[in-house]
Amino acid sequence: MIISANWLSAYVHHGLGIDALENLLTMCGLEVDGLEQIGSDLDGVVIGQIEHTAPHPNADRLTCCTVSLGTGNPLQIVCGAPNVAKGQRVPVATVGTTLLLPDRNDPARKTPVTLKKVKLRGEFSEGMICAEDELGLSDNHDGIMVLPGDAPVGESFARWLAEQRVSVHDHAIDVAITPNRPDAISHIGVARDVAALVASPLRLPEVAVPEPGGAAADRISIDIEAPELCHRYVGMVVTGVRIGESPAWLKQRLTAVGLRPRNNVVDITNFVMHECGQPLHAFDLAMVEGRRIRVRATRTEQAFVTLDDKERRLPEGTLMICDGAREVAIAGVMGGQNSEVTDETTDVLIESAWFEPSSIRRTAKALSLQTDASYRFERGVDPTGQAWAAARAAQLMCELAGGTLVDGMVDAHPTPYEPRSVHVRGERARAIIGVDIPVERVEGLLAAIGCTPVRLEKDGFPGQDTPVWDVTLPPYRPDMEREIDVIEEIARLHGYDNIPEPERSSIPNFTPDPDLERGLKARVRSQLASRGFREIYTNSMLPVEKAQAFLDPALPAGQLGERVVETLNPITTEMAALRPSLLPGALDAIRFNRNHGRRGVRFFELGRVHVRKQSDRSVIDGFTEIETLLLAASGVWKKQGWTGSERDVDIFDIKGHVEAIFASLRLVGVRFLPADGPFPQLARMEWDNTYMGIIGCTYASDVTGQAVCFAELDWDAVSAAALSLGTVRFERISRYPRVDRDLALVVNKQVPVGTLLADIVEAGGDLLMDASVFDVFEGGQLSEKERSVAFSLTFGAHRTLRDNDVDTAVTRILEAVATKHGAQLRA
Amino acid sequence: MSEDLATLRQEIEDTPLGTEEAIDGFRIRFLSRKQGVITALMKRIPDIAPENRKTYGQDVNALKQRVEARLEEAQQALSSSNAPGTDQTDITLPGRVVPEGSLHPLTQTMDLIVHAFSSYGFQIAEGTEIEDDWHNFTALNFPEDHPARDMQDTFFIEEGKTLLRTHTSPVQIRVMKSQPPPVRVIVPGRVYRNEAISYKSYCLFHQVEGLYVDQGVSMADLKHILHAFARTLFGHDVRMRFRPSFFPFTEPSAEVDIWWPDPDLPGGGRWLEILGCGMVDPNVLEAVDVDPEVYTGYAFGMGVERIAMLRYGIDDIRTLYENDVRFLKQFKS
Repeated sequence: MIISANWLSAYVHHGLGIDALENLLTMCGLEVDGLEQIGSDLDGVVIGQIEHTAPHPNADRLTCCTVSLGTGNPLQIVCGAPNVAKGQRVPVATVGTTLLLPDRNDPARKTPVTLKKVKLRGEFSEGMICAEDELGLSDNHDGIMVLPGDAPVGESFARWLAEQRVSVHDHAIDVAITPNRPDAISHIGVARDVAALVASPLRLPEVAVPEPGGAAADRISIDIEAPELCHRYVGMVVTGVRIGESPAWLKQRLTAVGLRPRNNVVDITNFVMHECGQPLHAFDLAMVEGRRIRVRATRTEQAFVTLDDKERRLPEGTLMICDGAREVAIAGVMGGQNSEVTDETTDVLIESAWFEPSSIRRTAKALSLQTDASYRFERGVDPTGQAWAAARAAQLMCELAGGTLVDGMVDAHPTPYEPRSVHVRGERARAIIGVDIPVERVEGLLAAIGCTPVRLEKDGFPGQDTPVWDVTLPPYRPDMEREIDVIEEIARLHGYDNIPEPERSSIPNFTPDPDLERGLKARVRSQLASRGFREIYTNSMLPVEKAQAFLDPALPAGQLGERVVETLNPITTEMAALRPSLLPGALDAIRFNRNHGRRGVRFFELGRVHVRKQSDRSVIDGFTEIETLLLAASGVWKKQGWTGSERDVDIFDIKGHVEAIFASLRLVGVRFLPADGPFPQLARMEWDNTYMGIIGCTYASDVTGQAVCFAELDWDAVSAAALSLGTVRFERISRYPRVDRDLALVVNKQVPVGTLLADIVEAGGDLLMDASVFDVFEGGQLSEKERSVAFSLTFGAHRTLRDNDVDTAVTRILEAVATKHGAQLRA
Repeated sequence: MSEDLATLRQEIEDTPLGTEEAIDGFRIRFLSRKQGVITALMKRIPDIAPENRKTYGQDVNALKQRVEARLEEAQQALSSSNAPGTDQTDITLPGRVVPEGSLHPLTQTMDLIVHAFSSYGFQIAEGTEIEDDWHNFTALNFPEDHPARDMQDTFFIEEGKTLLRTHTSPVQIRVMKSQPPPVRVIVPGRVYRNEAISYKSYCLFHQVEGLYVDQGVSMADLKHILHAFARTLFGHDVRMRFRPSFFPFTEPSAEVDIWWPDPDLPGGGRWLEILGCGMVDPNVLEAVDVDPEVYTGYAFGMGVERIAMLRYGIDDIRTLYENDVRFLKQFKS
């Protein structure tokens, strides 16, 4: 909301410069989001009298003027205006003055120009006699501005303007209003806080508020048929208005806060709303059929044309203002075209009402139509302010539009405002704020914003050392209801910066459980980073079809369900579903980097994926959300260097890193089971018969067509498995030498090496400490169906191994692989 | 010593041992188990007449020791020729490349924040991104049909029931429901806002929120902990200010700014908002069955992106989700 600094000063003498005012507002919770200077300060413009004029010797349309500024030292000024004449009193911009001059082709664009002494066609000119547009007073450039004959020669023009209630220099202060402060959506509301903080009185305009009834009651009747949605409806009538332009000062007020002046009556309703926060509506009384107003909710969906000439569909239950025959306004949102004030209007009905905030909010949301009125009503206007605002507007219409006030008013008030009060304990305030604020200061601050704190007898409150107040709450503060709300106001007005920090604070005597899961995540992240992987963060939202494509039963989330999670209100269809896998995000990142010329990437991400399915892992019914760890690499894995040649990534690079992760988590014996799926080289990973994730290859659809090798781990499962192992138990290191044996086995190619190795480990028994594959060989003397796989075995024990101990184990291994797979020792 | 042995002795002393090959040949000639000369001499000991056996044994043994001594000398001489200054290695050749990885700047910033609060005795909790309306809004004192709900534009999954969390505060509710006070917890995580994507806002971001509920907790304590945090993040002479604000779940509420020096600006710098905070609203405590007359508490929350952008001077939030390696590689690990 824009506050004009000049307008604000009409209600409080604060004596603050603009920067100090900005700081004061920000520090009391009315955060200044922006500050814009309006107009020039006209410093250097003085009132002068034209003593003498002569035609310019070298230019037909220029006049050489001798201008007195009352200093006894007249200036020569060359002027091009057609209306310049001897004897005129005029605003003179002297040399050195900076004016915001409008662009002749685009008058809205203004550039600062500093005046210098110049020669115009051979004649000196020591300043400029100004037109209204050059001073920022209007768009008028027909001629120089001629002042009344009593304008004092030599006086500052800005000061003279101020006496005429005109100031061209102002600041538009953009204040961010939090939802709890409906009282501050007006100049008086902001002025109230300023007045409280600078300890200066709030000065309100004198308004004669009429008694209900009188002649007005004979002119109109008001029936509230929905009293729960409209607590009050005040109507006042002004007759004989002449619709026309508003005076300069009023237009200036409105343009300063970003409103476009329309006509005097509409401008006055807007002015009063920005003055006190009460939205008003002016009806053309001649268009109000039956001189009757009814307030009621629609019973069916219907159409209505608002005063911006748009037809709108109103949902059932919309609160409407109706006359004797039809709807004339959407209550609290916008008036209707059928009854708006036009150039022909003479009699005006002023509406000033209190509508139930949530009803107005629902309507504004349903119509996607937020207006200055709805913005205020949905936050809650002062329930006691309707008559004042209507009377203020009526008074201005009489003054500025030549209207005549019809005596009295109609005040339909089915739900009168009940004054509210709350008990506030000084002790409680101290406990919350953490500092003792003197009793008198508390009372002074509260009184300044319209509260009435009354100290209660101490007897009623045993154990309270500080006073307990019964605080009557101001009607314009619907956010204040409870004791804590009043304590907040005390803290706010006292100033958060005045709350001292304690020298020391205690912490509770309890020990949180160590966060092992988070520790594992941090470890795997830093391990991957030190092994050459770059961590990425990808968007969780993607198109539905793409999400569905990655909900594959091979992948961790696809294990759990078949439906992706969609949002009801996506920003675009490109982001309508939640990711069921981290893979699509990584493929996008790989494609992005390839398109930017990167030949090899290795990425990882740890993040949450979603599937629409009830499971034993569901926190929210019907949805399963798990954390997965994705590794993905593509393109160059090893760069060309002097020690070796370049090569691309393959699945065993990723597998090696996955095995390293499992090893670091002490998960021994993870099995890689060849699996079918949409990707080649796919394997499920299992530990202790539990699914741990998947590794495989895929493609990022781009020009290179290079494979992407990836692994996606069900991190929740991996983490749970790792934590189930508990703390490491030290194992005594054998003092006896180990024995190494190599075995080269010839076996059918169809036998997976992983299976062979697992069987060797099983058959090797306790003495077999380690077994690894050191060679795979095909061809040579081997048949086409065979290959040779060489294993390196290490035996050990806490005693000296004898040859036949090892021989027995090796024999057992050879028998096992021969029986199960037909494997023979290579000759 | 017999003549044979003396000849052998000469040979042992004279054989040049300058290369690896010569050393191996020497070892095999004298010490090989099958054909070594010394080995053969040793094997003959039982055949020597008993009266000569002792001398013979000593002589052969002396020869063996000489062989071993020469072998050791030669070996040492050979390896010392690989010592610095004597070898041919061009050490200025680059080392074998170890690929460089990196941790995302958001992870690094989040870790920094979480570690700071861990060191002040906060435990860490996480929750799900899909939440219900009660935990995300109702329990946090957001009234139905109230403009406060506009402060957080929400992605809904099921009308009025299930949504993507707009903040990590629902986790605080879950923690308070699961354990009695004192509660001293910090909650990092990903949150979502239905806002147009631009250089300053993205459809999701990360938050770290904190909560402390105990007896005798006041706003002064809140200022203390947040000032400590600001010093950890921005240095010991950081300037900080608290200004009143509004959040439905805290009262009084505040926003915290730090002074960001910038010599190019008219005032020599500007205030930048880094977090929101306040005293836990009694309605929130009541929603989780904690008596607000006995317990009070403070809560605070900050956007990790905002802090990361401030720390690293990043001016477009979208860069954080583009995953351009030229960007990522600047952050190391």
